[in-house]
Amino acid sequence: MKNIDTTNNGTLNKDLRRKIIDMVVTGKDGHIPSAFSILDIITLLYRDILKFDATNPEWNDRDYFILSKGHGCLALYVNLHRHGFITDNDIEMFCKQGGILGEHPDRTKVPGAEASTGSLGHGLSFAVGISLGLKVQSRGNRMFVLLGDGECHEGTVWEAANVARNRRLGNICAIVDWNESAMQLLPEDDMPRKWAAFGWNVQVVDGHNEKEISDALRKIEFKIDGIPSVIVAKTIKGKGVPLLEGHGIWHHRIPNQIEYRQIMEELL
Amino acid sequence: MTKSLRQQFADTLTTIGKEDSGLVVMVGDISHGILKPLAEACPGRYYNIGILEPTMVSMGAGLAAAGLCPVIHTIAPFLIERSFEQIKLDFCYHKLSGNIVTVGSAYDYSNLGCTHHCYGDFALLKTLPGVQICFPASAVEFDQLFRQAYRNDLLTVYRMAGHPHPIEFDEADIVFGKAIKVQDGSDVTLIATGPQLRTALTARDKLSAKGISAEVLYVHTIRPLDIEFIRASVEKTRKVVVVEEHMRSGGLGDDVLRATYDIPGMKFHSVSIPDIFVTGYGTYEQLSESCGLTPEAILNAVDGWCCVN
Repeated sequence: MKNIDTTNNGTLNKDLRRKIIDMVVTGKDGHIPSAFSILDIITLLYRDILKFDATNPEWNDRDYFILSKGHGCLALYVNLHRHGFITDNDIEMFCKQGGILGEHPDRTKVPGAEASTGSLGHGLSFAVGISLGLKVQSRGNRMFVLLGDGECHEGTVWEAANVARNRRLGNICAIVDWNESAMQLLPEDDMPRKWAAFGWNVQVVDGHNEKEISDALRKIEFKIDGIPSVIVAKTIKGKGVPLLEGHGIWHHRIPNQIEYRQIMEELL
Repeated sequence: MTKSLRQQFADTLTTIGKEDSGLVVMVGDISHGILKPLAEACPGRYYNIGILEPTMVSMGAGLAAAGLCPVIHTIAPFLIERSFEQIKLDFCYHKLSGNIVTVGSAYDYSNLGCTHHCYGDFALLKTLPGVQICFPASAVEFDQLFRQAYRNDLLTVYRMAGHPHPIEFDEADIVFGKAIKVQDGSDVTLIATGPQLRTALTARDKLSAKGISAEVLYVHTIRPLDIEFIRASVEKTRKVVVVEEHMRSGGLGDDVLRATYDIPGMKFHSVSIPDIFVTGYGTYEQLSESCGLTPEAILNAVDGWCCVN
């Protein structure tokens, strides 16, 4: 494990959180709390888990990562930038004409983005297709896909979960960002039990605790013929800045100058 | 006995599956009996995946992203209408290639009602950049069109007709993207797609008896449409009737009209499904008649233009 920053009320990855805030202010758009909810998971994946070659994003032996809850894309972008997939200029051009980074990841524009997501309920099915394709070709690549808990309202999520289990796609790991957004609408939401009922191997972790996330990921065997795995990550929407945390007005809001200063002070 | 399109679909896929190790076939609980030879010949590349069409489409795109050549097959409305967003985003926007093969063209499943009808598919699919659309209505057409297009870089949709037309084309006649001149003529152009070629040919005979010479064109590829070939005929006749098992809005007729509207003196008529739900029961032939897809409908249009008593 490298570079774990647990200082200052336990918030990790403050540098990336600050970069996200700057992108949103500069681009005048973006979903900050959704990105903060998943940032620690994605950062750990790219730093410690995924096999990739940023100079050759389509490297045949790479692990696949799909951000199915596409509106959390800022968390993906800052990690793609950190690891060399995209440039400083790409970051500066977020949500600007001529740029490659919009409010949802775009496979046709962004190196390292495996799927264009944003319409919820597509990413897992697409990922299951890739997993099946890997199995057909006896390739050992691993498939990771991150979903939102609200996204799990979509029926296609459970269609795909059903197929993955019945086709014994042990090469896939889903991670659910369980920040309880979904429970605002449908309060009965025992996420681990649902996945267990579909026959997946389920682990529940604190999605802002790197050791827990890492340990869970490393337990997964990723067999081409096996049982699919899901990590249900308990997260906090807007994690790291009290002003942003929870399910209020910040879902799709741009900080003004005063709020910007407040947020940045929290992230020092 | 003439081979059905569906049997040809199974035979063609089995033959290609043996030659092309990248071909992977998913079906939604249909045609699994006739696809047994494929399953046996291509272990691990045939899946009766379940009754979950949107996910089957997304999975097909995922297979393509993993470097394989997917074929997705089930009943038309569930693949085209229910799964439209998956086709749009996961295949088309991603520019991933693959093949969707449908059964239950238009109202082929006549007695199953609206849930199993699909006669707006051309219109829907034409809103998606990069989709190719074929309407094979004989076994040789399916075989040839599939072989020619299945591995190109686009998504190709094959709407298989359940009631083949009576013409036996040679393999060499079938060229993806090219229309076929079935009969020469000089007074009016009749353009048919799918089984309605039969209707056009009957109308031609009746027009001929009245001294009107009708040219009959057959279109098996809706997109890309053979516009130059169609224009050449209409420039000669200045009159065109399009007959098709599709809603009036967004069908082949609209494309023909757009391709020919600027020909001086051009007259156009569409014999197609009115923009309503088909609600009746009965045979395929009875529903065709109730929708107005008859030789008489063609004759009425042409009679008006040619002032025949």
